[in-house]
Amino acid sequence: MDQMPVKMEHLLHELSVLPLSEGAGFSLTNYMFWLIIAVVMVLVFFVAASRKVKLVPSGIGNMAEAGVDFVRNSICVDVIGPEGKKYFPFLGTIFFFVLFNNLLGNIPPALPGTGTVGTTFTWAIIVFIVYNAIGIKKLGFFKYIGSLVPKGTPWWLSWLLFLIELISHLLRPFTLGVRLFANMYAGHIMLGVFAAFAGIFIEQLSPASIAIVPLSVVMQIALRVFELLVAVLQAYIFTILTAVYIGGALEAGSH
Amino acid sequence: MELIIPNTTEMWVNIAAFAILFVVLWKFAFPPITKMLDERANKIRESLEKAEDTRVEAERLLEEYKVQMAEARAEAAQVIEQGRKVAESMKAEILAKAREEAEAEKSKAVAAIKAEKESAMAELKGEVADLSVAVAGKILGTSITKADHEALIDKYLAEVGSLNEN
Repeated sequence: MDQMPVKMEHLLHELSVLPLSEGAGFSLTNYMFWLIIAVVMVLVFFVAASRKVKLVPSGIGNMAEAGVDFVRNSICVDVIGPEGKKYFPFLGTIFFFVLFNNLLGNIPPALPGTGTVGTTFTWAIIVFIVYNAIGIKKLGFFKYIGSLVPKGTPWWLSWLLFLIELISHLLRPFTLGVRLFANMYAGHIMLGVFAAFAGIFIEQLSPASIAIVPLSVVMQIALRVFELLVAVLQAYIFTILTAVYIGGALEAGSH
Repeated sequence: MELIIPNTTEMWVNIAAFAILFVVLWKFAFPPITKMLDERANKIRESLEKAEDTRVEAERLLEEYKVQMAEARAEAAQVIEQGRKVAESMKAEILAKAREEAEAEKSKAVAAIKAEKESAMAELKGEVADLSVAVAGKILGTSITKADHEALIDKYLAEVGSLNEN
């Protein structure tokens, strides 16, 4: 058991952002290595699938269609409305990027590209810029900013509401980024902890090993399944929140 | 704390990843897929509409056939009814004619019998008169006068006539 702190240290080090080469200057990090692989997988998958679509769907084309249809109808149209289809390329890019990274991170020894704030904050900031740009494009800059305060608010209350709304908007990229990062990071910590348990009790066989090693293996399997669910769910949540923000920006002028 | 401070290199990599992914998916990969999805949705909608049209048409035809069938049946019934009427009137006609002929035959026969009877009666009357004079002469042995003779005949004949009437 005295090995646990060492193992934990090792695990945390493995999951931290590390440059691939130790020299000075530009270097990819461990997370970026897997992120690039995931991005290439998305590109290959969709470019291949787009060449294979047929009126009667089958194979890879069918899979891609199911994913596209899900994002386009169950996210874009359901959340934003009929005009939501216009924003599908953006929302689809987000969904499949996050999904592929999350899923790839579930296959050892890969790390999820979304398990680092460098990724999640960058994408959350892109979302922030895009949804505000959509609102400004529709209403004009001053009208959009003005729409933060509901019409008919007394003047002495409006500055307070404006401040609250402004803060809530500015917090959005932060919460969006942290939610995805924490889910992916925490999942891998959990997997690492049970792997470490199994490792320690196999190295130092004791009567407790009989119970703890099988339990750790069972937990490892259960958590892998759970992580698959989390991977899909977090991709869905990140995308649907983006859709909600875009929908809110489009409706800003109407209340 | 370094855990939630983004690494600058990672941020640049992600910006590049977003740019490449978005442009490629938006311009090349998504359009054929969304186009196919819309095409299929349209195709299914059209097929359903066509099926509905066909169903309506089939129902209309069935209704039409039913009407035609009913018309044909009514016509057939009418023809049969007409035939029955014609046959009945013919039957009545034939019967009436036959009855008329029989009646005529019968009345002719009755007239002939009546005439026969009358002539027989007249003949008998003459013969009975002569016979009764001869019989009376024989019984009496004498000849009676012509006046007596005729009175006797009349009396006798009246008796015979009354017998005949009874």
